Amino acid sequence: MINKKLLDKVLSKVEKPARYIGNEQNSIKKNINEVEVRFAFAFPDTYEVGMSHLGLHILYNLLNKKDDIYCERVFAPWIDMEEQIKKNNIPLYALESKDPIKEFDFIGFTLQYEMSYTNVINMLHLAQIPILSKDRKEEDPFIIAGGPCAYNPEPLADIIDFFIIGEAEELILEILNEYKKWKKEGKTKKAFLEKICKLEGVYVPSFYDVKYNEDNTIKEIVPKKEDYPRKIQKRIIENLDEAFFPEEVIIPYIETVHDRISLEVFRGCTRGCRFCQAGMIYRPVRERSIENLINLARKLVKATGHEEISLSSLSTGDYSKLEELVLKLMDEFKEKRIGLSLPSLRLDSLDISIIEEIQKVRKTGLTFAPEAGTQRLRDVINKGIEEEDLIKSVENAFNLGWSTVKLYFMLGLPTETMEDIEGIKDLAYKVKDLFFDLPKGKRKGNLKITVSTSCFVPKPFTPFQWHPQDSIEAFNKKQKHLKDIIKDRKITYNYHDPELSFLEAVFARGDRRLSKVLIKAWEKGCRFDGWAELFKYQNWMEAFEETGIDPHFYANRKRDYDEVLPWDFIDVGVSKEYLIKENEKAQKGILTRDCRLGCTGCGINQSSIGGVC
Amino acid sequence: MTTIRVKFTKEEDLKYISHLDLMRLFQRAFRRANIPIKYSQGFNPHPKFSLATALPLGVTSDGEYMDIELEKEINTKTFIDDLNSVLPKGIRILKASYVDGKKSLMSLIRWSTYIVEFNIKEDLANDIVENSINSILNKDKILITKTKRKRNKVIERKIDIRKYIKDIMLLIKEGKKIIIKTTLKTGSQGNLKPNVILDLLQEYGNLKIDCDNIKIHRLELFIEHNEKVVTPI
Repeated sequence: MINKKLLDKVLSKVEKPARYIGNEQNSIKKNINEVEVRFAFAFPDTYEVGMSHLGLHILYNLLNKKDDIYCERVFAPWIDMEEQIKKNNIPLYALESKDPIKEFDFIGFTLQYEMSYTNVINMLHLAQIPILSKDRKEEDPFIIAGGPCAYNPEPLADIIDFFIIGEAEELILEILNEYKKWKKEGKTKKAFLEKICKLEGVYVPSFYDVKYNEDNTIKEIVPKKEDYPRKIQKRIIENLDEAFFPEEVIIPYIETVHDRISLEVFRGCTRGCRFCQAGMIYRPVRERSIENLINLARKLVKATGHEEISLSSLSTGDYSKLEELVLKLMDEFKEKRIGLSLPSLRLDSLDISIIEEIQKVRKTGLTFAPEAGTQRLRDVINKGIEEEDLIKSVENAFNLGWSTVKLYFMLGLPTETMEDIEGIKDLAYKVKDLFFDLPKGKRKGNLKITVSTSCFVPKPFTPFQWHPQDSIEAFNKKQKHLKDIIKDRKITYNYHDPELSFLEAVFARGDRRLSKVLIKAWEKGCRFDGWAELFKYQNWMEAFEETGIDPHFYANRKRDYDEVLPWDFIDVGVSKEYLIKENEKAQKGILTRDCRLGCTGCGINQSSIGGVC
Repeated sequence: MTTIRVKFTKEEDLKYISHLDLMRLFQRAFRRANIPIKYSQGFNPHPKFSLATALPLGVTSDGEYMDIELEKEINTKTFIDDLNSVLPKGIRILKASYVDGKKSLMSLIRWSTYIVEFNIKEDLANDIVENSINSILNKDKILITKTKRKRNKVIERKIDIRKYIKDIMLLIKEGKKIIIKTTLKTGSQGNLKPNVILDLLQEYGNLKIDCDNIKIHRLELFIEHNEKVVTPI
């Protein structure tokens, strides 16, 4: 255990010291002499961000249900704490036992966004563990990673010992069982990796060689031995009702980003938006039953006392019995003043009566994500939303007394023209007119429209994975144009930093040569890159320069269909042929229907992964 | 009106929880313990309870208070037991009693008593320490400058904090370790934080204090009732 007195001294010098104390209610303590495996669940961002992540709570409780496994948490210390623990030589420790994580068997990072990669490196360094896999010794823990960014694991190939591709609930227990056996046998770490690389969903990057063409594209990815798998298949949980879901979750002492109960109503999405990685990699759709959800809600309310339940999924309006679920939950919890939130509702699924029901407890703003400014471009991305839908929904909302509306768009989508950009402004102005078209007595509150644009980042396993990202200059120009033409004090225009989105695009579709850029950038002080106040673009550019790597090769280059992509060895169940077909349809603006209305042939139900739609 | 006044502790790791986080902690605890708390009206109903005064981050306490408005009267023993069964280690409800809640608790608070433990850099005789305490108490006036920001202007004003110090007592001196007890003005009619006393001991009393190991603990809060200083319950 680290020196508690020293920790106390350190905590008096940092902001939000409760980030580093653990001991929250429903956190789990075990006697380390009674466990066989010690696992550190590592979230490469602050405590407040990490504790809002449902996956953490699922895996933490799943692992701790096993008597012989002790799962603890560790987050990226904020820069003030980093300075303090460095100065006082306190190795990065886990919150539960306060033991240094370098003493653990596993450190498992969850990769939620590309711009947290430097935090992975920084956390290893603060834990006093060598950063590169090849430099780590037999006594060092296994450094593993999973989460959505693990679907293209290559940029972290030199750092992570093995990746978990897909949903981890079953696979992680299989791995830890193998580990217990291996530990008794006293064999080498490599022997363990050779054993588990045969488990479906495990990828050991050091077992593969990547050969390149002269133009720097990949020639082939070859297993170093015959019996290492050529394809890595993602893992899924077939039946969500039988899958583990925690009935008690840790109650943070400090306010987190999503300070509420998160009920996962289903996984997967049938909409098929062509820019959306989650919509492709999380297929097929699997719902939790209403009975199960209500039962979980009851237990979680009792265990936490939270004032809000959020129904989480990729598109909550698509839950087949949403109305019934909402009514039942409201009925049960209204008296306790527990609000419901539905963070990802789509325009066309927005049933205003449901929203009204929800708002009986708490009234919040409305958020719509048309994603693109014109119907043409919305068809290209297969968003499948008609302007009429938006107009109708907003009109309803204004009639019912709302006055705050947020509109989300993306800039730089394939085939976009200035007309599409101006369409964003037109839509915002139409929404404004709808409000003032109401008779004065019907208007409630002060109209506030917020238009936000993000910069499109092409992602692996989407129909747009071959597209170049817009240049930073192009994004700047488009943002400036919108800034110039949106001139209304009722409308606020926000936009993302294109420099950050550019780096996201580099690492989203990067290969293993980028590991050295990550380390170089970290050496130059880059970490918490997702935090605007700490993002150091210039240092990143120096890191590329000094490692001789051209970032534009990854972000702004158009790929051919026959190019070997760095993530091609991973099978997510959705076929490459389908992605090509979708991309071709996109160019022509042809829609693909929601696959609940009839199979669109993505391949998930024919693959060996076991998806049934 | 059904207002229950509660005395509670805030100890151990809970000293790192801010005032706002403590409020949220209680909100959840009320819900878990099924306390029939009253809610405000409006779009964002919130539970009606208020803490007497904010405890600075890092300070522990045996004497915190809050007033809670209830929908209906419940047995105080049940109330204490139910709430304690859901509260984290480090927060304990000590007492509860129904009060006439006409005046807000916050507006009644006048004084706090603190225990302050610290180390001096070089060992000194007892009477030297006593003298440095007296060097503060013997002053008629101690002026400090307070800055306030109002829009873009910084307003400076001098205030006399001597009248905010009721007493300072040396409790223990063991080598370099010193423990004092002090009662300071608290609340809307004037407020003095206990660390100011340490600043004064350095400035007027010539004590060299090791800033790294300071422990501050609030013992009790006081209100003034019929011109007498009494505890809120």
